[in-house]
Amino acid sequence: MIEDLQELEDKAIAELQEAQTEDQILSIRTKYLGRKGLLTGLLRNISQVPDAQKPLFGKRCNEVKELLSARIEEKLLYQFQQKKEDALIKEKIDVTLPGRAVKYGRIHPVVQVNMEICSILASYGFSVVEGPEVELDYYNFEALNIPKDHPARDMQDTFYIEEGIVLRTHTSPVQVRVMEKIKPPVRILSPGKVYRRDSDISHTPMFHQIEGLLVEERVTFGDLKGILTAFLKKVFGDDTKLRFRPSFFPFTEPSAEVDIICVMCKGKGCRVCSHSGWLEILGAGMVDPEVFKFVDYDYEKYNGFAFGLGLERIAMLKYGISDIRLFFENDNRFLKQF
Amino acid sequence: MLVSLKWLKDYVDISLTPEELADKLTMSGLEVEEVKKVLPRFTGVIVANILSVKPHPNADKLSLCQVSDGKNRYQVVCGAKNIARGDIVPFARVGATIPGDYTIKSSLLRGEKSDGMLCSEVELDIGEDASGIMQLPANLKPGQKLEKALDLEDTVFDIGITPNRSDCLSMIGVAREVAALTGKKIKMPKVRVVEGSENIKSLTSIKIMDAELCPRYSARMIKNIKVGQSPSWIKNRLEAAGIRSINNVVDVTNFVMLETGQPLHAFDFRFLEKRKIIVRKSKKDEEFVSLDGKSRKLAQNILLICDGVKPVAIGGIMGGLNSEVKEDTKDILLESAYFNPVSIRRSSRILQMPTDAAFRFERGIDPEGVIRALNRAAQLIAEVSGGNICKNYIDEYPRKIPSIKNIKLRYERLQEVTGTKISPRDIQKILRSIEMEISRTQKGFCLVTPPTFRVDITREIDLIEEVIRLYGYDKVPSTIPKFSSTEVKENPLLKYQSRIRNIMNGFGYTETINYSFIPQGAMDYLLLEKNDERRKFVRLSNPLTEDQSVMRPTMIFSMLDTLKKNINNGSPDLKIFEIGRVFISTKEGKLPEERNMLAGLLAGARSDDLWSSKYKSDFFDMKGCIENIFLDLNVKKIQYRSANYETFLHPGKSCAIFINDKKIGFMGGIAPEVLEKIDLKSDPYVFEINLDILSGFADNTPVYREISKYPAVNRDVAFIISQEIEAAYMLNIASSEKEELLENVVIFDIYQGKGILEGSKSLGLRFSYRAHDRTLTDIEVNEVHDRILRNIINVTNAKIRGE
Repeated sequence: MIEDLQELEDKAIAELQEAQTEDQILSIRTKYLGRKGLLTGLLRNISQVPDAQKPLFGKRCNEVKELLSARIEEKLLYQFQQKKEDALIKEKIDVTLPGRAVKYGRIHPVVQVNMEICSILASYGFSVVEGPEVELDYYNFEALNIPKDHPARDMQDTFYIEEGIVLRTHTSPVQVRVMEKIKPPVRILSPGKVYRRDSDISHTPMFHQIEGLLVEERVTFGDLKGILTAFLKKVFGDDTKLRFRPSFFPFTEPSAEVDIICVMCKGKGCRVCSHSGWLEILGAGMVDPEVFKFVDYDYEKYNGFAFGLGLERIAMLKYGISDIRLFFENDNRFLKQF
Repeated sequence: MLVSLKWLKDYVDISLTPEELADKLTMSGLEVEEVKKVLPRFTGVIVANILSVKPHPNADKLSLCQVSDGKNRYQVVCGAKNIARGDIVPFARVGATIPGDYTIKSSLLRGEKSDGMLCSEVELDIGEDASGIMQLPANLKPGQKLEKALDLEDTVFDIGITPNRSDCLSMIGVAREVAALTGKKIKMPKVRVVEGSENIKSLTSIKIMDAELCPRYSARMIKNIKVGQSPSWIKNRLEAAGIRSINNVVDVTNFVMLETGQPLHAFDFRFLEKRKIIVRKSKKDEEFVSLDGKSRKLAQNILLICDGVKPVAIGGIMGGLNSEVKEDTKDILLESAYFNPVSIRRSSRILQMPTDAAFRFERGIDPEGVIRALNRAAQLIAEVSGGNICKNYIDEYPRKIPSIKNIKLRYERLQEVTGTKISPRDIQKILRSIEMEISRTQKGFCLVTPPTFRVDITREIDLIEEVIRLYGYDKVPSTIPKFSSTEVKENPLLKYQSRIRNIMNGFGYTETINYSFIPQGAMDYLLLEKNDERRKFVRLSNPLTEDQSVMRPTMIFSMLDTLKKNINNGSPDLKIFEIGRVFISTKEGKLPEERNMLAGLLAGARSDDLWSSKYKSDFFDMKGCIENIFLDLNVKKIQYRSANYETFLHPGKSCAIFINDKKIGFMGGIAPEVLEKIDLKSDPYVFEINLDILSGFADNTPVYREISKYPAVNRDVAFIISQEIEAAYMLNIASSEKEELLENVVIFDIYQGKGILEGSKSLGLRFSYRAHDRTLTDIEVNEVHDRILRNIINVTNAKIRGE
């Protein structure tokens, strides 16, 4: 009988190993451990076991029962885990597919540059003021010390609307409009569209400038250098070298042109900088006393400086764009890169 | 302006390299835009020594020369007669190139080997002499490169002269600047006029009728000249300056203009009728043929130089064909004058004749340099054309050209403006270096008189600029001014604009910038009605092209144009927006109204992912975005009115947007007729909103409302209503009775089709009821809810579905 018991155990374990599904395992349990199961049957026949062996037989029966129960439970648990894992595998997705969302739009590169410049200069106390794009000749020229029939008018090719009305050729008229309204101290920035009658790879008839004006008592050319140096280093990097050289604008004196070391060749000379190693980046100067006369400021008491720069030029240098016309063609393939 | 380094060296000693000089000029305000090397038109030509000359055994006219470059001997067959043993000559070795693209090869000439070529001046294009081999100075060392030995290389600077520096529109002017920058002295050319006995005053006379336009007119006579080619030194100088050689007389006038800055003109005296000059203003429609052969009808008040009968030149701009110096010209009258800058500029613009002379006169020449230039030119003409200069010159100078004297320069003011302390001694030294006269120095200031050629210096600030420019901008210490606040108020629109950009970006719209100008025909493409205010557009009087001739009164045309270009570029799915201005004309002589607008365009598929399903974008995609702008700016009382507001929009898929009954914009699909007209193969939606008006309603500081702790009770009702009834109308009616407990009403379902009578639709509304202070009972809710339903049914004739 004890031998039968061993045979039963071996058989049951072998069957259990073969079992694949939960149902198969459950039927093995019924087959051996069920109320009418084989092990139960053997136990029921304990009477036929010789007395001396009875205790041993009973002990073995219990051992086998426990062992089988444990194995069956183990296998069931394993089956359950397996099923859960299979289910997860079935739900697997391709995580490398692109995300499904509204693709974020882009801000125009010229506007990005404008925002950056305004926020840098805002930290020096400059406020943004806008002016009209269609402007009186008076503000665009006369009050900026560019009288009619002055050769300085050749510096800018002008679009005319009618006698005395032009498309502004620079953002400088805003200087005059602001100074007419408020007394110093003045710290303003004026970004916006300007227009010149010119069209080729490096000129578009419309482009953007930003104008700065600071008028206070005791402001010097040294302050102009200081503010513009700090500003340009923030835009182009702390190690950017720059130089101030004399130039001419009818509404500033002394006037300066500010160059930065070429961002492409670092000063060695290349096509971008016409082999000079330097890039012209902005025009500036101390406000000419004539301009102060137009707005009724006491030019002995106040000094001021003004500066102006082209936003497209900055964007071209920053992003490595070589054709200015791209900014206004609005090709999606261009705009999406910024 | 092109400036030859060699020419410059005639007037000032220069020891700097061309690059160093260019840098110095640029840093003092004469921007060198380009440095060009100018090389002779030959290569590989050296200095050689003739060792022997023997007759060619097989040719009478040729000789056999042995030449040496100091190391090797060469045999050269030569046809010239002017050579002898010991001569130093230019020698083009095998491999050398000479003008005319000619490369020297080793060859056999009548049986004798020839390893190179001895050259004449003409063959090397460095002179006129073609009679024989060029004889070089005996002290030149054989073997040297010829261009080095004769110093034939030059550097030309292209200098951008700013409009204020008319004094630098000449070689002497630039040389003065170089002298000041390098501490050297300027070497003015010596002027020596050898006069004959015949007096100019017995031959001709000058009468100025308008001293305002012509304050000074001087002349000399040169007789018995021989017109011909200029010597090569003049030709080379003119060529370096980019001016074509014409003949020796005209070339000298150009040469002296480039040298001194004073434009000159030479008349053929035989064509000056009545042998006199009269300077007067033109009469209306007077006709004149200028040197360039063009006939012009002149406007009134242009300054003319006339003889006793007719005009012979447009003063300061261009001479006349009728008195041009020709090959057979014998006697000339040479003019050197000062013309009113403003009048010259006006005339040159009216006539569209921006000549070199006009360019200088309109910027202002040295009024006291007129005679010097006259004499210099007379001297050179006599030298190169063999004429005789008549005794004396005429100098009509009826009106003194004002010059500025004794400008007060305060040292303290200089420091106030520049932020730099420069000692009075250094200030005076700098001023003297540019030929300023300091007439008095006192404690705190000095009196300065600029030289007459510096017409740009009239005020203290001009002197301050001169001092600081020459002192060096780089030496001015950088400082940061103390913070101060300004009373300028920023337009809140600026802040709203950046928030709008964020929202548009979040909804997938990319920002564009279109040109402000559009074609005039755009208004017709958009089918705008005759009385549409956008027909009152602003037109440019000098547009570049017809396509860019009108300032846009709406941004929609540009948006559609951008879509069209992008479809062509393979991007038909487009979401773009723009913030910019539109322009509406007001009154003549007044500035137009400029409105800040936001426009958007949506076209093609809703998502640009290729792998997920595509949906076509529609009206509600766009509306969702606009609604969020209003939400963000906390704008209330928005209405979307469906009446047909815009001619270019689809009447069934468009609306006008109102805030508080004020129209702020529109949105909708583009009308098929417009799409067809502009040949656009797409079905775009657009919107345009006036940001100036919008920002007036924007109040973006929200006020907190207490959150109720008690639950809401929802009641869903489906109404069967006429198809014509709009959702907004139903919502309006639903919330029209001011019921305190009704928290909000939303649409949860719209259905049309099976089970619903044709011409009707089912609209499901969810009513939410809530109280702040208690949980509502069914009885309370029912009472309010029934009242609301009754009202809706009464007003709209709706039926409740399922009843």
